[in-house]
Amino acid sequence: MIEFIVLMGIVVCFSGILALGLNFQWGLGGMVNFGLAGFYALGAYSCALLMLKGGFNTFFGALGAMVIVGAVCGLVAFVTLRVTEEDYFAIVTLGVGEMLRLIALNEDWLTKGALGLTGIPRPLSAIVPPTYYPYFLLALSIALVVACIWVLNRLARAPFGRVVRAVREDDVVAATLGKNVLWARVRIFAIGGALIGLAGSLHAFYYQYIDPTQFSTIVVAYAFMAVIAGGRGSNLGTIAGAAVVMLLLEGSRFVKELVNLEADQLAAIRIIIIGVGLILLLIYRPNGFLREYRLQAPLKEARTTPQSTKEVTT
Amino acid sequence: MLQTAFNGLVTGIIIALPALAVTLLFGVLKFANFAIGAMMTVAAYMVYALNTELGWPMLPATVAAAVVFGVLCILMDLVTFRPLRDRGGLTLMVASLGLGFVLENLARLAYGNSARSFAMELARPFRYMDIRMNREQMIAFVVATLAMGIMYILLTRMPIGRAMRAVADNPSLAQVRGIDSAAIIRWTWFIAGMLLAVGGVLIGMDRAIEPPMGSSYLIPVFSAAILGGLGSPLGAFVGALLIGIVSEMATLVIPPNYRIGIPLCVIAAILIFRPQGLFGQAHIRR
Repeated sequence: MIEFIVLMGIVVCFSGILALGLNFQWGLGGMVNFGLAGFYALGAYSCALLMLKGGFNTFFGALGAMVIVGAVCGLVAFVTLRVTEEDYFAIVTLGVGEMLRLIALNEDWLTKGALGLTGIPRPLSAIVPPTYYPYFLLALSIALVVACIWVLNRLARAPFGRVVRAVREDDVVAATLGKNVLWARVRIFAIGGALIGLAGSLHAFYYQYIDPTQFSTIVVAYAFMAVIAGGRGSNLGTIAGAAVVMLLLEGSRFVKELVNLEADQLAAIRIIIIGVGLILLLIYRPNGFLREYRLQAPLKEARTTPQSTKEVTT
Repeated sequence: MLQTAFNGLVTGIIIALPALAVTLLFGVLKFANFAIGAMMTVAAYMVYALNTELGWPMLPATVAAAVVFGVLCILMDLVTFRPLRDRGGLTLMVASLGLGFVLENLARLAYGNSARSFAMELARPFRYMDIRMNREQMIAFVVATLAMGIMYILLTRMPIGRAMRAVADNPSLAQVRGIDSAAIIRWTWFIAGMLLAVGGVLIGMDRAIEPPMGSSYLIPVFSAAILGGLGSPLGAFVGALLIGIVSEMATLVIPPNYRIGIPLCVIAAILIFRPQGLFGQAHIRR
């Protein structure tokens, strides 16, 4: 049982980092990423291939994955050069994500296609004895989650974070004030992408085997649910949301023993529950369970700054 | 070559139906509905159930399913999107993603993952000037053209179509002129639902009926709507034909597995060079 909890803990950690990446892009930056599964796959595959084919060690494998996913995300954000409507951007991310998954599935010479990549090395596996390895990986994952939250909170409070929120609320005003909106968007999306790359690397370390089926729609569903449940913009909330969502879903595997269901049906029911939960949360609990970090303004000013500025687009 | 172009034309005209639905919904409700793929899937399964389990012929089954699905769309809007209406396009978009998850997996739960097809007798392909057309393609061509014609008359000649365009163009002005926007929204969903149902059936006939069938068309459909300029019905039609032909022709050069890349490149090119699309009007932002 303790073994199971440790493994669950690791899963929660890397799903949490994935959700943090989405939270940065969508929650803080207002750029929705529907191609999350593809970028996540890109992270896992880059890390694995850098190690297996490139001969890098685990540290540089993960670092390389972060750089690659960050760069691809930055490039995607660059097509928003002239339009800022989120609808267009969402469809572009969906398409790019789909392309990335197709590449993983079809380029046999590189990714071994549907067979997947096996024998992915793990960090420090030569030093840490195998019996303690799960504990070590859990500790490493927790340390990474803490580090990510620390960095993201610093970023959110830095001048950069203010620019990002200004762009999210009203990019025209931000541009009028002399902020470079495009550059801010590219950086938001790239930093979020780097986190997704890190999550993908941890995924590869944990399973030691990756194939395209691991990166399906359900990954997108999990991450969106975690971000919405935790409260858009709140990093701590996102981790809590990821933990709750993962526990509920992994817990549902015990339901299978009670009710006679096939694996396909159980998977379908899980996604239905997530979908319904997503809509209900959006309607009844739009701010999630923890709110975004907000500067405490003096009372006098607080009255004049409305909580959410509606976007004025004509 | 000619054959590929013809196949592309048929694909394009099938895409035109959901693309028109997307553009109508976007025009009136101002958000991109990512649930349309799953909506087509569900409608196709409804026709499948009427067709194979109750033994109805295809035509009445499709008509009945289209009407029922139109009503279902109004209900789905009432439950999902109406409470979120003034929360902005981003929230509505994520809600539509959630709705899509639910619909696609309801179909999966009911019928499993295996591919199915309608109960239609096989027919010999028809040849004309070296172009091979199978019966499904011809049906798709006729039905989709007919639907587009009806839509054209509806949007330009009928009061309801004019009211829809008025609400799409300027909701507050339409309100001042006494147009009941809630009723227009319901009509838009009904019409979009019918278009999606017919589109789903044609896709099911052209390929196969399986849970991801609709969502695999999301990118071509959206790129058609964006190419034509989101919100422009005529643009959606022309955009769909172009996307269909171009992506089918491209398979002569690139591996067919990456067919989806073509509409994606089209979107990227439009976003960079002509964001308002071919037929859209440039937005003036304040």
